[in-house]
Amino acid sequence: MTEYLVLKNGTVFDPMNGIDGEVMDICISDGKIVEKGPSNAKVIDLKGSAVMPGGVDPHSHIIGSKLNVGRLTSPESNRHYPYPATNKTRSGVAGIIPSSFATGYLYNAMGYTTVIEPALPSVKALGAWEEIEDIPGLDIGLLPMFSNSMISFKYIQDDDLSGLAAYIAWTLKSVGGLGVKVVNPGGTYAWAYGKNVCGLEDAIPEWDITPRMIMTSISNAVAELGLPHQMHFHPTNLGKPGNIETTMQQLDALKVTKAKGKKKQTVHLTHMGFDCLSVVDGGMANWKDVASGGLRFAEYYNKNEHFSTDLGQITFGPSMTMTGDGPFQHSLYQMSGGKAKWSNLPVDVELPGGAGIVPFTFEPKSPANAVQWTGPLEFALSIKDLWRLFLSTDHPNGGPFLKYPLLISWLMSKKQRETWLEMVHKYAIERSTLSEIEREYTLNEIAITTRAAPAKILGMEKTKGHLGIGADADIAVYDFNPEKTDLAKNPDLILKYFTQTKFTFKGGQQVSKKGVVAKHLSSRVHSIHPELNEDLSQRIDRELEEMMGKWFSHSFSNYPVPMRYREHLEMPKIIDSTSVQA
Amino acid sequence: MTEDITIHKDVPCTFCGCLCDDIVVEVDGNHIIKNTNGCAISKERFLGHTENRCQQPTVDGKTTTLEKSIERAVKIIASSKRLLIYGLSSTENDAQREAYRLAELARAVVDNTTSVCHGPTILGAQESGEPTAGLAEVRNRSDLVIYWGANPAAAHPRHIPHYIRQPGEYIHDPKQDRKIWLVDIRATTTSRMADRFFRIEPGTDLDVLQTLRALIRGHKLDVEEVGGVNIVELEEIATAMKSAKYGVLFFGLGLTQSRGRHRNIDAAIRLIQDLNAYTKWNMLPMRGHYNVSGANKTSTWVTGYPYAVDFARGYPRYQPGEYTAVDMLARGEADALLNIAADPVAHFPRASVAHIKKIPVINIDPKINMTSTAAEVNIPAAIAGIECDGAATRMDGLPLYLRKVIEPPKGVIPDRDILRMIINSLKKEMKK
Repeated sequence: MTEYLVLKNGTVFDPMNGIDGEVMDICISDGKIVEKGPSNAKVIDLKGSAVMPGGVDPHSHIIGSKLNVGRLTSPESNRHYPYPATNKTRSGVAGIIPSSFATGYLYNAMGYTTVIEPALPSVKALGAWEEIEDIPGLDIGLLPMFSNSMISFKYIQDDDLSGLAAYIAWTLKSVGGLGVKVVNPGGTYAWAYGKNVCGLEDAIPEWDITPRMIMTSISNAVAELGLPHQMHFHPTNLGKPGNIETTMQQLDALKVTKAKGKKKQTVHLTHMGFDCLSVVDGGMANWKDVASGGLRFAEYYNKNEHFSTDLGQITFGPSMTMTGDGPFQHSLYQMSGGKAKWSNLPVDVELPGGAGIVPFTFEPKSPANAVQWTGPLEFALSIKDLWRLFLSTDHPNGGPFLKYPLLISWLMSKKQRETWLEMVHKYAIERSTLSEIEREYTLNEIAITTRAAPAKILGMEKTKGHLGIGADADIAVYDFNPEKTDLAKNPDLILKYFTQTKFTFKGGQQVSKKGVVAKHLSSRVHSIHPELNEDLSQRIDRELEEMMGKWFSHSFSNYPVPMRYREHLEMPKIIDSTSVQA
Repeated sequence: MTEDITIHKDVPCTFCGCLCDDIVVEVDGNHIIKNTNGCAISKERFLGHTENRCQQPTVDGKTTTLEKSIERAVKIIASSKRLLIYGLSSTENDAQREAYRLAELARAVVDNTTSVCHGPTILGAQESGEPTAGLAEVRNRSDLVIYWGANPAAAHPRHIPHYIRQPGEYIHDPKQDRKIWLVDIRATTTSRMADRFFRIEPGTDLDVLQTLRALIRGHKLDVEEVGGVNIVELEEIATAMKSAKYGVLFFGLGLTQSRGRHRNIDAAIRLIQDLNAYTKWNMLPMRGHYNVSGANKTSTWVTGYPYAVDFARGYPRYQPGEYTAVDMLARGEADALLNIAADPVAHFPRASVAHIKKIPVINIDPKINMTSTAAEVNIPAAIAGIECDGAATRMDGLPLYLRKVIEPPKGVIPDRDILRMIINSLKKEMKK
């Protein structure tokens, strides 16, 4: 028997369907939103509550060995944040890097229901699937990294775009990936030689290719395959003052990729806050002269529609920096005068120089950190098209995802910004325009940048990020009446309401109430399986067996994640990529 | 008779942390008849998997049914106030995950064998971080490999022949282009294989490491020798380390469990970190049990902490020295022990073993071991990677899928299923 649930009288924010604060009913059946329920359907009255689609977070590091290294090397970061077990839920820790169970519960309590792990070393994918078993309540996706892999390099050097596309397709199928991640193209590889790259034409040790060739070839391959999510791009020079110039150069270089289909965007520039640091007029490219690049980058964004972005907002306080950008992480360690705990994690063949992990505290009184804080806010408050933006802290880099309510409060409330501008170093005022910006995000704009836009950016807008007929019944109900609550004037209420929903529904099932998770739902994993034509498929099997056999230290047949770990979780979407020439 | 022979290829060997996954196992009916590619230990593990088995569950030394043994185990767990769950490093990840679930339910302490092997390595990393290595990377790139306080020729027999003395993409002649050095307190089988061997005085690892750090930073030291090694030779080592293209330090219990312990590791980590200002260096602990890396990994994602986790308050807390098995037992704190896939009676200090003998012990293991003799309840388990599948983690963090190549003895089930049975009955017991 099909069960119906009707959420009545909520004030709904569903920007994808043009609904901005209308009181309406939502009907749910079999985990989906349907047109209407029968008269005897179960009803929950949501009069005086705000209703939004479940939150979608396309960039949050919640899975993988890098997190474990962070947890393992810094147990102190979790010690004071216990997450107790209940009859229905498991225990854990909830500090900077929550443990797996707590990660799912905490996201649900905040109203988020879809989270993407944006840096998967494919060779370790089996471990990721095992971990997902212990991360409840979410729809999850994994983005394998391709930009420092010797296999990618081989195809790029041979100018073999079909081979590269086929390698990507093969990997997505073999490990259950959703899209393609590029991290410091060539730079992490160079780190295996103690080097880095910074310019588009820099040499990469042992190979006759450049960072430009790597990033454009991969974005071309992604377009060629027709992947729903554009290339997810962490540029070179991350975290270097003045890098706004090279970031724009790289985005310009990526214009060579022609978008296929309806979507205009071919690249997603991730954590722009770390990629768009400017310097004061006449200044040098160092931290002493750092200035916000937010406004300048907003101008670039307003003029160029081929990319989307997310904030990578720093939130002050302790964080754990972790990226697939090994040389950047080492430079952070050097900045600490060699005092910080620096971990490095090379991944065979795919990330030879390795990911890095360094605990880091963003200090409000640090001139550099204060300026860094202003950049993404200035950007978000200066751009026109919010449909190419989503909110993020690049968890746990800029701070844990638990700080999203704080980020929302900065965007929604000038009063809140003024309070913080007083607390942080004066450079925040002197080296950005943040203090002059009047704009305050509306609830509809928050709904765009935390639900609708990220779902579109991921190519999941059919079922995620909206509340129209056919959408997954992932719904966040907030315990305030949008008509009567002046959030901008009361930023503390933003923190209160966005930290804990009144109810969160995942696939039509109520998972939490007033922040208490009382239902343990298994997560699901969304993946993309590009179908190649027969010739290309045979070619890639043969070539990968040869390369992997030669370069890896484990057997080729042990590379794919066995179905036993996937079949009960995976929701594969098969796409037709047979047009890629063999 | 050849019709019955099945050949399993690319099977990971579940003995040591190398987790070599190129083993070819031939099975005739329900007998393993051949292991190709495995080392001597691997061959023994596969071909001798039926030897010395615990055939049936026992309670108080008398054979019984699985159900009865579970019933007694649950009774012990339900009536204990301070249960210790220990072992887990020689079983697969799912069994470990069930053990944490049980620990949470029973508000127990759960610890793995890390606390008696590379625990100090983790403590060192908590001081300083850790630039770790990957085994294929070592094979493809490394021109200088140093083993320190490790004897892979005996403990990880294929570490050198399978991963190190092999050509890689940028190391064409592994004998010429890659040097293997050993630092240890005595000559070993490994020292005969190494290109150079440096014998240091026992207990001087920390001194030698700090000396190397100083020399690498360009300091002149006014001493003639450190740890029994001439300063000129130490200068030579420092120079060689600095001028290597891609160096790797593999270290064993000789470094973690000798005088200085986690301070040794801390110094080794800082040495490797210093070297990265000049060239590329990584390091890796030589993990012993095949899935001790997995035990750290699963424990960390589930509880936030790698070992020594206490659930007494209904949430995980971490405190090595307090919630580590040896210490809990030596203090007489644990009032019951659930041991899974380890042998504490054989390996723990006398005071800890003396306490084990005073408390009820539930022992889950495929084989009869020293702990079996002290156990009130013995439950036989299938051998992961031979008689049941699962996942495990290689010493460098690579996850691998373990195969079931043969049926377990009749009535014998995997660790994870035994633990699930215990959890389910314990839940019923707790509702009463």
